Amino acid sequence: MSNNYFNTLTLRDQLEQLGKCRFMHLNEFTEGVDALKGKKIVVIGCGAQGLNQGLNLRDSGLDVSYTLRQAAIDEKRQSWKNATENGFTVGTYQELIPTADVVLNLTPDKQHTPVVNEIMPMMKNGACLSYSHGFNIVEEGMKIREDLTVIMVAPKCPGTEVRAEYVRGFGVPTLIAVHEDNDPQGHGLALAKAYAVGTGGHKAGVLMSSFVAEVKSDLMGEQTILCGMLQTGSILCFDKMIEKGMDAGYASKLIQYGWEVVTEALKYGGVTNMLDRLSNPDKIKAFDLSEELKVIMRPLYNKHQDDIMDGTFSSGMMADWANDDEKLLGWRAETAETAYEKTPAGDFEISEQEYFDHGILMVAMVKAGVELAFETMTAAGIIAESAYYESLHETPLIANTIARKKLYEMNATISDTAEYGCYLYNHACLPLLQDFMKNIDTDVIGKGTNNEDNGVDNARLIEVNEALRAHPVEHIGGILRGHMSDMKAIV
Amino acid sequence: MNIKLENCNFDFDQRFQLEAVNWQIEAGQHWVVTGANGSGKSALVATLAGFGDQLVGSFTGLPEKVALVSFEAQAELIEQERKKDDADILDVVAVGTTVSEILAQGGGDALITKELVAKFELEYLLDRAFRALSTGETRKVLLIRAIASEPQLLILDEPFDGLDSKTLTMLQEYLENLSKGINIVMVLNRCDEFPEFMTHIGYMQQGSLIHKVARSDKEATRELLQLLHLKTSHLEIPETDEVSASQLLKDGDPLVKLTDICVKYDELRVVEDFNWTIEAEEHWQLSGPNGSGKTAVLSLITGDHPQCYTNNINVFGFQRGNGESIWQIKQFIGYVSTALQWEYRVGTSLKNVIISGFYDSIGLYTKSTDSQRKIADQWLAVLGMSDRADISFNRLSFGDQRLLLIARAMVKHPPLLILDEPCLGLDDINRQLVLALIEKICAAGKSTVLYVNHHSEDAIAGIEKHKKMVKNVSNISH
Repeated sequence: MSNNYFNTLTLRDQLEQLGKCRFMHLNEFTEGVDALKGKKIVVIGCGAQGLNQGLNLRDSGLDVSYTLRQAAIDEKRQSWKNATENGFTVGTYQELIPTADVVLNLTPDKQHTPVVNEIMPMMKNGACLSYSHGFNIVEEGMKIREDLTVIMVAPKCPGTEVRAEYVRGFGVPTLIAVHEDNDPQGHGLALAKAYAVGTGGHKAGVLMSSFVAEVKSDLMGEQTILCGMLQTGSILCFDKMIEKGMDAGYASKLIQYGWEVVTEALKYGGVTNMLDRLSNPDKIKAFDLSEELKVIMRPLYNKHQDDIMDGTFSSGMMADWANDDEKLLGWRAETAETAYEKTPAGDFEISEQEYFDHGILMVAMVKAGVELAFETMTAAGIIAESAYYESLHETPLIANTIARKKLYEMNATISDTAEYGCYLYNHACLPLLQDFMKNIDTDVIGKGTNNEDNGVDNARLIEVNEALRAHPVEHIGGILRGHMSDMKAIV
Repeated sequence: MNIKLENCNFDFDQRFQLEAVNWQIEAGQHWVVTGANGSGKSALVATLAGFGDQLVGSFTGLPEKVALVSFEAQAELIEQERKKDDADILDVVAVGTTVSEILAQGGGDALITKELVAKFELEYLLDRAFRALSTGETRKVLLIRAIASEPQLLILDEPFDGLDSKTLTMLQEYLENLSKGINIVMVLNRCDEFPEFMTHIGYMQQGSLIHKVARSDKEATRELLQLLHLKTSHLEIPETDEVSASQLLKDGDPLVKLTDICVKYDELRVVEDFNWTIEAEEHWQLSGPNGSGKTAVLSLITGDHPQCYTNNINVFGFQRGNGESIWQIKQFIGYVSTALQWEYRVGTSLKNVIISGFYDSIGLYTKSTDSQRKIADQWLAVLGMSDRADISFNRLSFGDQRLLLIARAMVKHPPLLILDEPCLGLDDINRQLVLALIEKICAAGKSTVLYVNHHSEDAIAGIEKHKKMVKNVSNISH
């Protein structure tokens, strides 16, 4: 049945859709939640996103209820408990969908086709269907009834964060889009904006994008730098330290928390700031390593982007869905069995600076991954703003999940789609970096360079600093981080 | 020298009592005694000079030579002089005792007397009648007399009052020098007058010496001075700003009306058939054992409990679940609890924490107005934290954080102020700081206070209504 929507577009339309991404200003949200006031919002699915978005929307004065499958209600499954304990009305599709003005589809990607096929005939004429990921529309080519409005509102954080930030009086950065083929009344944008306000997203920054740009950039980011690179990097760095006879507990801890620490520097001041945390000779070392990594990995990044663009990736994954997730589950089990995953972090004090000094290779991998993902995305027609958010911006968020419970937590938190893509990348990248890793020693991962003197060649340092600062991801990052800190005001 | 008072009670003509005084002054120590007016500071130091009737306790180690300069002693001497004059029935103008004679009566060292007379620039007064001097001048004379008597313990009750700045500096330097050989005890009210060389601070409250702090303990000293500030300065609750002030409610409407409340998790009913109406200007205390649902009830009122949408709740004129947002509810409420303090893990400045109270947010995400910043400054002054306005909240001590969060809750003069165990986790001095601030707030009458508390010693004057919650019987029977 699958009929890739993106591939039906002309090149001109493809490029136009990919090029959509605009940072919206706070004064574009003065109407608040008005467009949704008094409307009946029905959420499908009550997992972390579903529950927490619903709590926020209700606290913003909106009418929210949940619809679950009859079986989930009869068996009082966790989703049913989540909804009822929080005082929401819960009903079956038959009971609630026909009454809904807006239906929020917050089920996993894999369920979108069956769920949407089931609810679409029940939906009121002129109602709105909202997604938080465009996979179903763009990759599976789901055709939505012509009278229905189709929008996307995607908070760029895990569900618990969406709630926690709202309660504090803030929100999380949110991406919104309107599916132009399904905006018969022309109010899709108004609804999406009101929804973003209802979840608090407008306070933290809203990006207006398109379904196509969201899908193609989101898939690319999560497969490569965000999850894939961190998984491959974790395994390679850990194995190297063990090979060189280092303490396994130290190695495990350096990696588990190292990604979070070094990407925190990325969050505040981009790749430049992350490398500025190193001494001058170490910075040059990290720069050289990352240049080497970029040359080796570029074909892989290109392949991922190409497969995403032409639908090869999604059809491959859908084939795995049809095959009871055989690959996904196999890879998941394999990841759990890696030496890194099985070695608990040891009881070592590692200072914040030590994570940088002893993790030069990790810094180099993050730099290479962020820049490659950004370069590949923009070369494929994705606008710099989207490429920034789906690469550099989200890396610290994913690194944070590894800090909590290693690769298991990362892969459990991200979507099945991201997890599948992550394993795909990891499988290709591990052998690709085999030769590179042969020349790596503990000076760049585990023990630090311990230079007696921090002297460097002036000309070389200037060259490296200029190259770092001149990268286009740093340019757009500077602008967008500026917007964000305007919004966050004084915090 | 080692003066030791153990569980001493003193009576002063049945007008004033000191109770359970435990105090030790060791060689090399110099004590400032401070506290609010009427707390018994002067009485305490007077006991060292032999005043007051000791009723119980052990009082040892007092040195032979003790000198006291105080307003009371000064007044007494002047009174004696006046009586002499009155007693003189001869038809001549009595000169009274001259300053020289008063100084000589002290029996002090003549050289020291001469030196001090010069330092205080009193030579021209030596032949004048003592009772003709101004208050400041008599004070100087008595200081000279006391110091010249070469005491082992010198007690000075408010010695700096009424001295010009030049004399003040001279006297402080002189005393500093003197302190190397003797013990000095001073009563002082203004913490900016505490001389550097004073090593300890004692704090009096209602006739008891309740805090003793070595100044080398910087943190304890700072807290003590802050308590002094809250207790002694004339505090006014800052006004709020017109724009962000909580809207006034309709007259006569209750602030909160909870009807047949039920809170349940799975089959566990934490609260059942609970009813409560809070009228404006009716301060309430809420108490009950752990698990009786206090927090659940409070969070139903604040809108933080998801089951507020399934209960019959009317707050500030809103029947919950009719399209109102929680921010509309929260603008009527000031809220302080330990949980809020845990939640408030934000690296923002003290000033911004106070301003965030206008927006009910944790952290500040909106540009503040000039008027809001001004009000925040006023609150910082009330708390004695003006000098720390821009430091980060998470660098503050736990007790100071609590004080600041109370100011944050009060900044908009909310119709309802909820204080959920505001003293929980605080040490004695911080508890008193918090209670002192809350009492000021209750007295200011800007908000109806809902106070959750278990400890009778933390009672607050002015809170008369009491709601007691009990564990739900249907759960106990399980």
